[in-house]
Amino acid sequence: MADRVLELQGVTMAFGGLTVVDALDLHVERGEIVSVIGPNGAGKTTLFNLVTGVYRPSAGDIRFEGSSIVGLEPHAITQRGIARTFQTLRLFLNMTVRENVMAAAYGHTQAGVIRSMLRTPGMRREERAIRALAEERLGFFGERLVGYRWDQPAYSLSYANRRRLEIARATATNPRLLLLDEPAAGMNPNETLEMAELIGKLRDVGGYTILVIEHDMHVVEGISDRVVALDHGVKIAEGTFEQVATDPKVVEAYLGTGAMARKAL
Amino acid sequence: MDVFLQLTLNGLTLGSVYALIALGYSLVYGILKLLNFAHGDVFTVGAFVGFGALQLLGGVAHPAVPIWLLLVLITLAAMAVCAVLGVAIERFAYRPLRDAPRIAPLISALGVSFFLAYSLQLLFGADQRDYDAFNLGSGVLFMTGFTIPGTEVRVPLLRIVVILCAFALMVVLWLLVTRTKTGKAMTATSIDREAAAMMGINVDRVIVFAFVLGSALAGAAGVLFGLRAPFYPSLGFLVGLKGFTAAVIGGIGSIPGAMAGGLILGFAEAYTQGYVSTRWSDLIVFVILVTFMLFRPQGLFGKADIKKV
Amino acid sequence: MSDERDDTQPTGPALGKDEWVARFGANRVRRSGALGVLEQRLATVSWWAWLTLFVAVIAALPLGIESGYVRRVAFDTVVLMLLALGLNIVVGWGGLLDLGFVAFYGVGAYAYALLASDHSGIHLPSILLIPLVAVIGALAGWLVGLPSRRLLGDYLAIVTLFFFQIFLTVTNNGDNVFGASITNGPNGLLNIDPLSFFGWTIPRSTSEGLFNVAYIYVALAFFGVVYVALRFVNESRTGRAWRSLREDPLAAEMMGMPVNRLKLLAFAFGAGVAALTGTFASALNGSVFPQNFEFPLLITVYTIVILGGQGSQVGVVLGAVIVSVLLEVLRDANDARSLFYVALVLGLYGAFRASTRLVVVLGGTIVLGFVLRTVAGAIDGSWTAGTAEDAGRAAHLAAEWVIVPLEPARWLAPAAYLVLVTLVLGLTLVGGRLRLAALVPTLYLAAFVWENVLLAKPEATRYIVIGVILVGLMIVRPNGLLGEKRVEIV
Ligand SMILES: Nc1ncnc2c1ncn2[C@@H]1O[C@H](COP(=O)(O)OP(=O)(O)O)[C@@H](O)[C@H]1O
Ligand SMILES: [Mg+2]
Repeated sequence: MADRVLELQGVTMAFGGLTVVDALDLHVERGEIVSVIGPNGAGKTTLFNLVTGVYRPSAGDIRFEGSSIVGLEPHAITQRGIARTFQTLRLFLNMTVRENVMAAAYGHTQAGVIRSMLRTPGMRREERAIRALAEERLGFFGERLVGYRWDQPAYSLSYANRRRLEIARATATNPRLLLLDEPAAGMNPNETLEMAELIGKLRDVGGYTILVIEHDMHVVEGISDRVVALDHGVKIAEGTFEQVATDPKVVEAYLGTGAMARKAL
Repeated sequence: MDVFLQLTLNGLTLGSVYALIALGYSLVYGILKLLNFAHGDVFTVGAFVGFGALQLLGGVAHPAVPIWLLLVLITLAAMAVCAVLGVAIERFAYRPLRDAPRIAPLISALGVSFFLAYSLQLLFGADQRDYDAFNLGSGVLFMTGFTIPGTEVRVPLLRIVVILCAFALMVVLWLLVTRTKTGKAMTATSIDREAAAMMGINVDRVIVFAFVLGSALAGAAGVLFGLRAPFYPSLGFLVGLKGFTAAVIGGIGSIPGAMAGGLILGFAEAYTQGYVSTRWSDLIVFVILVTFMLFRPQGLFGKADIKKV
Repeated sequence: MSDERDDTQPTGPALGKDEWVARFGANRVRRSGALGVLEQRLATVSWWAWLTLFVAVIAALPLGIESGYVRRVAFDTVVLMLLALGLNIVVGWGGLLDLGFVAFYGVGAYAYALLASDHSGIHLPSILLIPLVAVIGALAGWLVGLPSRRLLGDYLAIVTLFFFQIFLTVTNNGDNVFGASITNGPNGLLNIDPLSFFGWTIPRSTSEGLFNVAYIYVALAFFGVVYVALRFVNESRTGRAWRSLREDPLAAEMMGMPVNRLKLLAFAFGAGVAALTGTFASALNGSVFPQNFEFPLLITVYTIVILGGQGSQVGVVLGAVIVSVLLEVLRDANDARSLFYVALVLGLYGAFRASTRLVVVLGGTIVLGFVLRTVAGAIDGSWTAGTAEDAGRAAHLAAEWVIVPLEPARWLAPAAYLVLVTLVLGLTLVGGRLRLAALVPTLYLAAFVWENVLLAKPEATRYIVIGVILVGLMIVRPNGLLGEKRVEIV
């Protein structure tokens, strides 16, 4: 058996009477880029929320690197090595770009309040390391998030840059698995292309395993090792992009939602 | 047994007043998710308005109208003034902050509470007042009444009036919320404000309606309280605190919850005062509150909420 | 879905306009000329230089002035500064609504009193006791925060407010706990030890019976230490985490920050600072009473934090100075009168600048005053025969312009006050000409109410002003004087 980073077994999530994710099996191997597609409301974001511990599944098991993470608090799951971005951007808008990334290093750093008050040498060393880490993570985006913007508040960033900053922030938690929720949403074609390249680079250079939700079929086609299609919380197809894109169930699911159908086919 | 009955009666009287106040918290919380800290002071304003109206109608010594009418009139006056006050508070202190961070209207509410309490002190002085209901109609509210058969416990007319009045108001509220169009809109809004707005419900109007109802009930509670006990400008702090503790225990946002919570609190306080000590009843109530926070934070009738991402 | 997000951020750039960011620095308005140069120079002075200067100024203040009153006010101001710093941790950084904050100050004061007084017979040395009390306070905070496990705003507010009430209940009724007197009830604890370090006692008053300046220095020293320590914490990983969770708790949690634990930490930390402040306040006063820790103090500290700007340490310190001075000024009718008219004129100037509208409104109000007063005096002499509160020269002047009845009818004060409140609120609803026209009588009525109603009861007036400032700030300038700009994410 290959090195399984993430494995979901029969995961079900119901809100009241509404089953949003239904007996879902899913797995991600180390070094893979897996795309999750599906019409709006299919339960994709909910899937991320389940993996990251925002919701606790009504049934089923979620295993990360072999051990179950069901019931852990979200910050504990992150500290184990799963980080995510948000479909609806959730940056710390009033903090600087650099601080946004530095904040995410919290889980793998130590200095407590007392040591911070006293500014002990150890604490200062750690601060310098966090700073260096943040700058390195931001440096991953090359031109886009260059030096002079690091001290600007995050709200001064453009929309596309906010999406990039979200990714930089997520990587600062030192994850092994990255969950990207519609990273190219709201971007123009150029930026979308760039984002697709970036996701590849995150895997190849950064070494992250990636589970990504994406609507843009060009992006999905370009980056995915494997594609999983969801509809109404049920996995309706899985395989290479070609296999999934031509699967009649997938086509049908998308035909139900006009605009997406044109985009998908 | 007599003592127990007497205490139960005390608890029922006190609890029905708390329940009236708790309803105001719950109505507003249900819709705005806002703890209206100024609500306790609206209650105090009600007590003072009732007092003022009583003086205008000739005072206790020479009432210009029959006693039953007098009571009705001062209660209505307090309810009307408080309703207007509630609407004003919502319009000027909360509405501008509806899209602000959640902590903002709470702090604004603190400011309003403070402003009201000290305005009362400015206008009426810091001293205790009381309605002197004992001398109303040469003591009819206290002298008449009945004795519970088989016991020595007397139930004076005043208590009957307070309890009946409180429950009548709750029934009216219940009917307003469940039977009228605006009431139903209110329920819808409390479940999902955005969805309600999209269904064509005028959310602003619903919010005003909630403030009118809640504040009017607080005004009535003020008068019912004033008939039995002395009051002073800063009273709203403590009574308000009890009121929303009741609302929390019952499940904040829930109308039957507020009633139940109010009664539970009333009984808890009465029994503690009777069997333990009058000094420590607040402590017992606090312990109950903390217990609920720990084991059932959503209260008796509340539903656990799931956050949306 | 995503397209609509572009315009939710009014100050931000439109989609894709990266150049806007490049110009971000240049967008700021700079003054020209000498002032501009000065401003730039000042901006480069480091924070600790400012802090030293500030502490030095406050330290120098009471030296020349042999007034016990001024020294007392200086001390109380430093206490308020410390309390504001403490509350700022909880509200400004943690984003938590702690309504029991003042109770922790009380816990500190009582703990000091119980561990260093004749009442208990224990006399711990200050050097040990002060840190001990700070820890006790922090522990108390931790315990109080614990039940509202998720520390959701509303539950925390309720539990802390109730805790505040319990603190008052316990201190007021603690004179008889199964027969034993612990807190001595409303009569308070007396004969508390003054501060003593290494066997050297700092007396509360000098040999001439004057307030001992040393206590101001002790308080200032604590202030300096706390300020610097908090600044360091704010710049550490914990500080960043606090600010993150204030911005967006869910995102913070997802980025590996244990939000609940961090909130509890902020909460306990604030409580610790409050308790610490309680120690030397207790030592200076030599006594503690439950009445020292009531609701008005809580609102005052909140007003300070909001006025200064939640999250800004410099801001809340300045806020403490402003509010402290304001409260003192309002105590005295003459000062309060001057303040009122100055604030009125400045406020009008701020709203209209030097324009004809300013002249119209000011002139109109002045003329209206004289006319009304003459008419009223002609109808009934007693209406203008009263003397303004605290007869001084300013009072005489005021009484020449404002109607001050000799024996106002009992309904007059409430009626005038209520009409004024209604008018002011109404003014915020109308605009244009109507507002301008209504402003004149409103201003005059405000002066009338100030002279006849408010000045007569400074105690209530002080707190009414505080309440109005609090609500007004929340609505008009929620970030306070120096607060960081806040963008709410929904
Ligand atoms: N907290 C919640 N409570 C109730 N329903 C929810 C909740 N979160 C998501 N849903 C519902 O689950 C369905 C799937 O949502 P989501 O996972 O966001 O879809 P998407 O695939 O577009 O990301 C939607 O119908 C949504 O309304
Ligand atoms: Mg989604």
